[in-house]
Amino acid sequence: MRLLRYSLFVLDAAWQNFWRNAAASVTALLSIGLILVLAGTGLLLGHALAQVLGSYGRQVSVITIGVADGTPLASVADFEAQLRQRPDVASVRFLTKQQELRQFASDPRNQAIVQQLVGNPIPARIQVQVRSLADVARIDALARTWPGVDQSDPTDYQGQLVDNMLRLERWLDLGGLGLLAVLAVVSVVIVMNAIRSAVYHRRREIEIMKLVGGTEWLVRAPFLLEGLLTGLLAAALAQAVLALAYHPFVEHFSSALFFLPLTYDPRFLDTLAVELLTGGAVLGVLGSYVAVRRHVRV
Amino acid sequence: MLIRSELVSPPIVSLDHVWKRYPNGTQALSDICLRIPGGDFVFLVGPSGAGKSTLVRLLIREERPSQGRVWVDGLEVGRLPRRQLPRLRRQVGLVFQDFKLLPRLSAVENVAFALRVSGESRRTVRARCRAALEAVGLWEARDRYPCELSGGEQQRVAIARALVHGPRLLVADEPTGNLDPATAWEVMQALLAINAAGTTVLMATHNRDIVDLMRRRVVALDRGRVVRDQRAGRYDAAPQVFALRS
Repeated sequence: MRLLRYSLFVLDAAWQNFWRNAAASVTALLSIGLILVLAGTGLLLGHALAQVLGSYGRQVSVITIGVADGTPLASVADFEAQLRQRPDVASVRFLTKQQELRQFASDPRNQAIVQQLVGNPIPARIQVQVRSLADVARIDALARTWPGVDQSDPTDYQGQLVDNMLRLERWLDLGGLGLLAVLAVVSVVIVMNAIRSAVYHRRREIEIMKLVGGTEWLVRAPFLLEGLLTGLLAAALAQAVLALAYHPFVEHFSSALFFLPLTYDPRFLDTLAVELLTGGAVLGVLGSYVAVRRHVRV
Repeated sequence: MLIRSELVSPPIVSLDHVWKRYPNGTQALSDICLRIPGGDFVFLVGPSGAGKSTLVRLLIREERPSQGRVWVDGLEVGRLPRRQLPRLRRQVGLVFQDFKLLPRLSAVENVAFALRVSGESRRTVRARCRAALEAVGLWEARDRYPCELSGGEQQRVAIARALVHGPRLLVADEPTGNLDPATAWEVMQALLAINAAGTTVLMATHNRDIVDLMRRRVVALDRGRVVRDQRAGRYDAAPQVFALRS
């Protein structure tokens, strides 16, 4: 019961802090809301770019190995088995010369060439799907050492493109993390200032609480709760803004940036909500914790 | 030589060779030895800067002694872990010159505040608030806000708040400093009644008239030292000082 009464006291004090210090609270809420909108925009852009990169990545993470004519099927099967055993390989598929020819012939644009063909000049191929883009280079190197590889056209590995994509992905990750770190620091400073202002407004009450035997927890908890409340409300605000703006944004930019396969993914809004609310709560509590440690001493 | 009551009651406050030096170099207290038995009424007098407020702050662990030991109601204050400070502060009622009331709370809410921070039940809060406000004669004014009360009434509300935990020691730092003589006397009546009910009272004051009129134990400080400890004393040293300590 005593714990319940303490909790009610803390809740009441936190709520009163928030409203009595309304100007600072609302300023902090809007500032953090704006920061979370920026962070959320970053996450949405990151998600869109991840979709684009993912789609390209899926294309280039399949490497096709040409098989030299006359290579015994047993040798191909051995090589296939060797590939399948590798942890970086997701799947392996062998396409015979006939299958490759049929596939080539099924394209209407190749009809004229097919009619002029004598025999079957198209080599058999092994298609290897790797688990990660970074693994493609290793499979390419391995394929080139296999005696059965077609020396005139060993693989379709696009080293430059893969390297560029990997570099881009790395820079995007770093940039995103850097941006989030800066935004997090700014948010913590804003919450700290709001709480410092609340502590200043309530300095008399804090002093009296200390003098009449209030515990450290009881004096500090309302400010932590106020920080949490500010962070959560700011996150809810940011989520509302982003949820409203996401679809129009994608519609507008998918036509303007037609070369990028941007798509509206409503499921990502749930992920975004969880991330923003968690981020808002953590930033709010962290900012107020730093502030009360510095400014509230029992 | 000991005061007679020290022989019959264990001390509720005991300072044993206490020194206090602030980080800026100010020597606030020097080698203070003081014992206050339970039930006593003690005036702490001395000029500004004599160390009265520092002594009060040591009793509630707003400051720690640089040297020596401070005991309050069986607790060694200087070595008390931080988590035990609330317990100490509930055992010591505090009254200040500026009342320290919350302006947005009524008289009874101000008194109840001290109990709410201790997590007391609503029933306990009601009963104890009533008892404390009745003890200072302000139950009828319980719903009035500090701005609607006179200075003396505000100080009596502060006394009621200090009493509400049922402390064995009440420490008042210049409680009449902001009051006119008639109102100061009202406050003194309240403190006397509390003392008569068994609570030890330690009152730091500059009010010469009150000290001279009351004729209680007087501990005089000057430049951080106890220069006089006198039973039934006056504000100033009489020609024949009854020296209690050598």
